[in-house]
Amino acid sequence: MILSVLAQLVRTVFSPFTQWLVGNIPADWLGSVPVFTIIAFGVIALAVGQRTNPLPVSAIGLLLTGLETVLIDNDVYGSSFGGLFARSHFADLFIWIILVVGFLVLLSSTTFYGDRATFHSLLLISIGGTMWTVMATDLVALFLAWELMSMPTYVLAALGPSRAAVDGAVKYFVMGLLATVLMLFGIALLYGLTGTTDIAAIGAALQSYFSSPTLELSAVATSLLAMVLFVIAFGFKIGAFPGWMWVPDTYSSADGSLAAFLAGGTKKAGVGALMRIMIVGFIVVRLQWMPLIVLVSILTMLIGNILALRQQNIMRMLAYSSIAMMGYLFIGLAVGTQFGAAAAMFHAFVHALMKTSAFILVWALTVRLRRQVTYDELVGLSSRAPFASGLLAVLMLSLAGMPPTAGLLSKIFLFGSAIEVGMWWLALIGTLNSVLSLGYYLRVLRVCYMAPPEDAERLRLARGPLVAATLGVIGVLVLFINPSIVLDYANIAASQLFG
Amino acid sequence: MFEELASMLMSMIPGNPLAFLTLFPLFGAVVAFLAGERGSRAVALLVTLIELVLALALMATFSPTFDPSEPNAGMRLLWNFVLGTMQIDSHTTPVQVYLGADGLSVVMALLSNIVVFAAALSSNHIERSRNLYYMLLLMLQTGLLGVFFSIDLLSFFIFWELVLIPMFFIIGRWGEEGCQHAGIKFFIYTHFGSAIMLIGFFVLYFASGLYTFDMLVLRASGLPIDIQMWFSIAVFFGAGVKLPVWPLHNWLPWAHVKAPTPGSVILAGILLKMGGYGFLRLGVWMVPEGFSVFSVVFAVLAIFTCIYAAFVAMAQSDLKSMVAYTSINHMAWVLLGVAVGSALALQGAIYMMFSHGVIISVLFIVAGEVKHLAGTRQIPEVKGLGRTAPRLSTVFILGALAAFGLPGFSGFLAEFFTLLGSVPVYIWTAFITLGVFLTVGYMLWTLNRMVFSDPDPEAEVHDAPLRDLIAPVLLLVPVILLGLWPDLILSMTAPFVTLVTGGATP
Repeated sequence: MILSVLAQLVRTVFSPFTQWLVGNIPADWLGSVPVFTIIAFGVIALAVGQRTNPLPVSAIGLLLTGLETVLIDNDVYGSSFGGLFARSHFADLFIWIILVVGFLVLLSSTTFYGDRATFHSLLLISIGGTMWTVMATDLVALFLAWELMSMPTYVLAALGPSRAAVDGAVKYFVMGLLATVLMLFGIALLYGLTGTTDIAAIGAALQSYFSSPTLELSAVATSLLAMVLFVIAFGFKIGAFPGWMWVPDTYSSADGSLAAFLAGGTKKAGVGALMRIMIVGFIVVRLQWMPLIVLVSILTMLIGNILALRQQNIMRMLAYSSIAMMGYLFIGLAVGTQFGAAAAMFHAFVHALMKTSAFILVWALTVRLRRQVTYDELVGLSSRAPFASGLLAVLMLSLAGMPPTAGLLSKIFLFGSAIEVGMWWLALIGTLNSVLSLGYYLRVLRVCYMAPPEDAERLRLARGPLVAATLGVIGVLVLFINPSIVLDYANIAASQLFG
Repeated sequence: MFEELASMLMSMIPGNPLAFLTLFPLFGAVVAFLAGERGSRAVALLVTLIELVLALALMATFSPTFDPSEPNAGMRLLWNFVLGTMQIDSHTTPVQVYLGADGLSVVMALLSNIVVFAAALSSNHIERSRNLYYMLLLMLQTGLLGVFFSIDLLSFFIFWELVLIPMFFIIGRWGEEGCQHAGIKFFIYTHFGSAIMLIGFFVLYFASGLYTFDMLVLRASGLPIDIQMWFSIAVFFGAGVKLPVWPLHNWLPWAHVKAPTPGSVILAGILLKMGGYGFLRLGVWMVPEGFSVFSVVFAVLAIFTCIYAAFVAMAQSDLKSMVAYTSINHMAWVLLGVAVGSALALQGAIYMMFSHGVIISVLFIVAGEVKHLAGTRQIPEVKGLGRTAPRLSTVFILGALAAFGLPGFSGFLAEFFTLLGSVPVYIWTAFITLGVFLTVGYMLWTLNRMVFSDPDPEAEVHDAPLRDLIAPVLLLVPVILLGLWPDLILSMTAPFVTLVTGGATP
C-alpha cells in the first residue's frame, strides 16, 4: 500500500522525465534502461575514479537506476530486446533486493582503500548484470547476464586486502566456471530437445511431451538431466549443496563489502533465476524436482549449520550461516506452491538485508582492529562499542528467527509453506535446524554482552558501514511490524510466476 | 468505593486496555534505556507499579461470567493489529497481534504484574549497566502479558518467543559464575519446544481446513479428534519445556540457580506459568477432546515429576537449587490438574499457578538475601539465622510454610483443590501426596539447619535491611489473603472452568 502510493507520487513528480525517456529511447529498450544507466555509471566511475573517490558518482548512478526502475512501469514497458529481458513484479522484487544491497554496500565501501575506481566500476557493472539475470526470460540471455554479473565479482574478490583474497578468488573463479559450463550444457540439452531457449516455450514444450500418450523415455531423461544440471549450476552461486565449498573461503578472504554483495546480491540473483526456471520452465515435472530440491534443502541446511558451529572466525561463521539460510529458502522453492514462492521471495529480501548488514558490520570491525574478527575479538563489545554491538545483536536475533525481527516471519512463512503441502517433516527438520543454529548466534550474543571485556578501550567504527548496518537493522525491524511492504509484492510476483 | 476507583482508572486508559497494558512496558523500556544508569530504576519501578495498579483495576472491573450463547467464549476487550497478510491460494490470513481476555487471562496478567513489580523492587543489588537491565525487564513484561492476552496462535507464538530474549540476557549477563552456559541452555531448550509447537500451529492451520490462526474460531469449529491429538503432543513439547515436565526439565535448575535473584523470581514466578497457561489455553481450552486422550499419560508424568523433583530437592545443599527443584515439584501439580481436567482439578491447577508464583518468588528472594548476607547459600554452612537475622528468618519461615502447603496459606488450598478434583477421577493420583510429605520433610529440615540451629560464632551475619524485605513482604500479602479468601481467584476463573468442562458444576 505505502509503496504503491509512494511510487505513484514519484511517478507524478518525475513525469516529464518519463516522457522524455519514452520519447527518446526505442520502446524495445525501455525495460532495460535502468541496467544501461548503471553500467554507464560504472564506466563513468572508472574515469572519475582515476582522480578522486568515485563514491558520489556511483551513488548518483544507483539512485538514478532506482528512480528509473520506479518510473518505467513494468506493466507497460516491461519487455525489452524482443522479450529476452522482461521486467515483471517477480523480476522487480529481486531488482529491489539488488538495489538495496548495492546501496548498503556502496555506503560501506568507504572503508575500501584499494583501487577505488576499479572497485566501483566493477561493482556497478555487476549490479547491472545481476538485474539482467533476474529479468532474463531466455536461457541464452540468462547466460549472458549471468556472465556479466559474475565476471566483475571474480576480479573484485581478488581485490581483497590480503594474499588470501587471491586464493579465495581463484577458488570462486574455478567453481564459477565449472558452474557456467554445467549451465551451458543444460541449455544445450534443452535446446536440442525442444528447439527453443525461451523458458516459457520450453515449459510449454515439456508440457506437450509429458502429456502425449507416447511418452518418450529419452526426452524425459534429457529434460531431467538438464534440470539437475541447472540446480547444480545455480546452486554454486547460491551456495547450496553441492557447490557450497567456495563460499566460506571467498567470503572470509575477500573485502567485506564484496562479501556483503555476494551474500546479499548475486546469491539472490541465482535464487531468482533458479526459481524462474523451475517454476516457469519445469513446473510440469514438479513432482520430479520436488524430492531433488528437498534433498538439496536439507543437506544445505545441515551442512551450513553444523559447519558454522565449528567456526571461530565470524566472517566464516556468517558465510556458513548464509549457506544454511539458503537451505531454508529452498524449502519454499521445493513445495512448488504460490505461497512457498512468495515465502521464499520474502526470505530472500529479509536475508539480503540482514546478511548484508551483518557482513558490513563485522567487516567494519575487521578494518578497525586490523585483524580477522573471531569470537575473542568480540568479547565485551557491548561496552567497547555499544551501538555496533546492539546492531549486531538485533541482526543475530533476526538470523536466529526471533521476534521482533523479520527473520521470525520469514521462517514462519517458509515452514508454513512446507506444511501446506503436507511436508511437516521438512518443516520439522527446518525448525530443528534453526534450534541448532542458536549454537552460534547465541555465542555471538554471549561474547558481546556477557563476557567481561579484557580491553576496555572504546572502539570507534567507520561511519559509512555503521550507517549502512543501521539502515539494514531498521529495515529488519520495520519488516516485522509491517511485512506487507514486501510480502504483498511477493504474493503478486508469485501469482504472476505461476501465471 | 474501590470498584469506582478501578473503573475510573480503566476509563482513563487511552485505547484498548489490553493493548495498553501489553505495550506500555515496551514504551517504558525505551524510556528506561534512555534514562541512563541512575534514572532507569525509577522509571522501571514507576512503570511496573502503574502496570500492577492497572492489572488490579482490570481485575476489579472485569466480569468473567458470560452467557454460553456469547460468540467469543467469554473473551472480552478484543483488539487486533494486523502486521501483514498471508496469501495461501484463495485464502488470506492476517498475521496479527490479536488480544483478548477472559477470567484466566486476567488472573495470569495480575500475577505477572505482581511478580515483575516484585522483581523490579528486588533488583536493587544489580549494579552493572542498569539501564540495559531495566529495559530488558520491561520488555519481558510486554512478552508475558502478550502471551496471556493473545488469542491468535501466531500472536501467541511471537510473544512466547519474545520472552526468551530478555530472559536470556538477564540470566547470562547479570547472573553468577556459569550463568552464560545456563542462559544458552535455557534458550535452546525453550526454543526447541517452541519450534515443535510452531509446527503444531501450522498443522492445525491447514489440517482444520479453516486457514485461520484465530483461537476462538479454531476452538469453536470442533476439530477432528486425530488433529486434536497431534496438536496436544505439539503443545506438550512447547508448554512442557516451560512448565517443566520431567524429561524436559533439565534447563531449569541451571537457569534458576545461575540467574540473578530478580531473574530467578521472574523465571519461577511467571515464566513457568507460561507453560501451565499453555496447557490450559492451547490444550484444555482449545482441543479438549484430543487433550483428554493423554490424560493418564500426563497425570502419570506429573506424579512422577512431583516425587522425583521432591527427592532431588532434598539432596540439594544449595538453598537456591533446593528452591528451584521445589518449583518443578509444585508445577507438576499444575500438570496433574490440567491432565485430570475435572472442574475442581482445573481450579486447583490455576490456583496453584497463582500461589506458587508468589510463594516461590519469596523463597528466591530469601535465597538471594542469604547469599548476600552470609556470603554463601550452602545450607549446612549457614547457621542460626533465627538468632542473627530475625527479620529475614520470619519471611523465610512464612515462605517455607506456605510452600509446603500449611493450611491458611494459598499453597494448601491449591493442592487441596487439585487433589480433591483428581482423586475421584483417578484414584491413584493420590500418590502425589507422597510429594507433599517429602516437601514438608525437606523444608522443615532446611529450616532446622539454617534458622533454628545455633549460630556459628565465627561467621558474622547481619539481618537483611528493611528495603530488601519490601518485595517479599508484599508478596506474602496475596499468599495469606488467598489462603483465607480463595474466592478472589476462584470467582474469576470459575466461568473458564465451567466452559471447558462443559458446564459441569465446579
